[in-house]
Amino acid sequence: MNSQGGISMAGGVGSSATATSSWVSPTSVSTSGKRIQREMTELNMDPPPDCSAGPKGDNIYHWISTVIGPPGTPYQGGIFFLDLMFPSDYPFKPPTVVFKTRIYHCNVDSAGNLSLDILKDSWSPALTITKVLLAIRSIFTHPDPYNPLVPGIAHLYLADRAKHDELAAEWTLRFAK
Amino acid sequence: MASGSINASIPSIPRDFGKKKRANRSAKLKQCKLDARREQWLSQGAVKNKGCKEELTGPRVSPQQIHEEGRKNTLENSQMRRRGGVGEDENENENGSIHHDFDLDSPLNSPTGSSVLGGNESGTNFTASSSSSTTSGSSVGGSITGEDGEENDNCLDDWEAMADALVANDDDNKLENHIDENNPCLELQSSLEHEPVVQLDCNLQNLGSNNENLTQERGVPPRVTPGNSRAWRPDDALRPQSLPNLPKQRSFPNTDRHYGQGVLPWGCASGVNVPTSCPICTEDLDITDASFLPCSCGFQVCLFCHKKMLELDGRCPNCRELYKNDPVKVEASVRRGSLMELHFLAFANGNKKEQSSENIDGCLSG
Repeated sequence: MNSQGGISMAGGVGSSATATSSWVSPTSVSTSGKRIQREMTELNMDPPPDCSAGPKGDNIYHWISTVIGPPGTPYQGGIFFLDLMFPSDYPFKPPTVVFKTRIYHCNVDSAGNLSLDILKDSWSPALTITKVLLAIRSIFTHPDPYNPLVPGIAHLYLADRAKHDELAAEWTLRFAK
Repeated sequence: MASGSINASIPSIPRDFGKKKRANRSAKLKQCKLDARREQWLSQGAVKNKGCKEELTGPRVSPQQIHEEGRKNTLENSQMRRRGGVGEDENENENGSIHHDFDLDSPLNSPTGSSVLGGNESGTNFTASSSSSTTSGSSVGGSITGEDGEENDNCLDDWEAMADALVANDDDNKLENHIDENNPCLELQSSLEHEPVVQLDCNLQNLGSNNENLTQERGVPPRVTPGNSRAWRPDDALRPQSLPNLPKQRSFPNTDRHYGQGVLPWGCASGVNVPTSCPICTEDLDITDASFLPCSCGFQVCLFCHKKMLELDGRCPNCRELYKNDPVKVEASVRRGSLMELHFLAFANGNKKEQSSENIDGCLSG
């Protein structure tokens, strides 16, 4: 049931359509489900700090995650919700991560899209959701203004760090608490 | 029984005397003869028809001998008495069925012969019914009793000595074996286990002066049996051919061992150095996957995931190095000379390992 849901969900993507047509597709779909199941188990047994994640509903290909703003950052105390969507050929393709909570961050656009190298070109099948969450948590403490998704925020971050942090804390207090 | 004993004792004794002429031979010759017969019977044991024929022939001959040698009865009263005890049984046999007769005789007159066969049957064929064991015993009795009865008189001491020598260390089992040995023979008359013993006691009391001799005589078969009732050794000359072949049975554990040894290297290879499941698809690694080292970093994936990753970017998920198996990408990565050397070294080592394991397997199987 879950795997079917995953297929239908990812059916709009061209790559998944080609995957279903190839002989590997049934294996990949079933293995993706098995892999996600195992990741869920490992995440529940040893969750990364300030992070939680799990399936949103019956569909194990669609997760919801929360990341708590780490202390010492303008995002401190904020609870940020993320949507995690696994492609049908996961882990060969990276999961899609979207911020559901507004955040003032140079690497997160207004739609919640996230620019993170490991979620795009640097994705490796050996990575797991736990590592993805740790990477997301790390961009709270170390934004990457040189690969920005919102250039204005990146520019402000480089030019006036105090002003940037003040705005970020204001957004956190406004949207994430 | 008591009434029959008198009549029976007379005919049985002449038989003994008539054959006593021949009985003057040494105990050794007799022993050889008995052994030969035993082997003969063992060889014929498989064919039951033969046994039945001999059963029938045995008793037919005895009455004639009785008539011929009837005169000599008066020579030795003590022996008459003694044989009278045995004669009781024989008398019943002649009156009743031949089967019973020799079943009863066999343990008494031909202790070794009956005990050998009995031991065979009881020791090896646990499922054999009592009837089968008795028939075999009776057949032996039929062939041997005629001469055994007579020979017992002269060579009883030798028999006892031989029996003692044979079973010197099995004294502890005397009682149990005694009951076990007598049961199958006497079961025809009584189904109760203890009854045969009682009957024996009665016979012994009736016999009077030669009680001791008879007790010794009757004690012989149980003494002999423990040695023979032991499990047969494969190299035993008396071992019946109908027994299952032990080497064949041993071959099963041997093959298991062989398989275990053959599998062990693989098990070690997959269990110690290699993850049990593919880190990508979490499927269990089979033998081929476990021996598959796609990257010099040691990160192992199953063949399916490896193929999939070759289609995507051809890089190792762990170290992000290009997989060497793809020829185009090998050429592209030649510029990193040292790394490629490492790759080739790892590849060569993997091949060596596989070859060595194959050699080991070959040696084991060969």
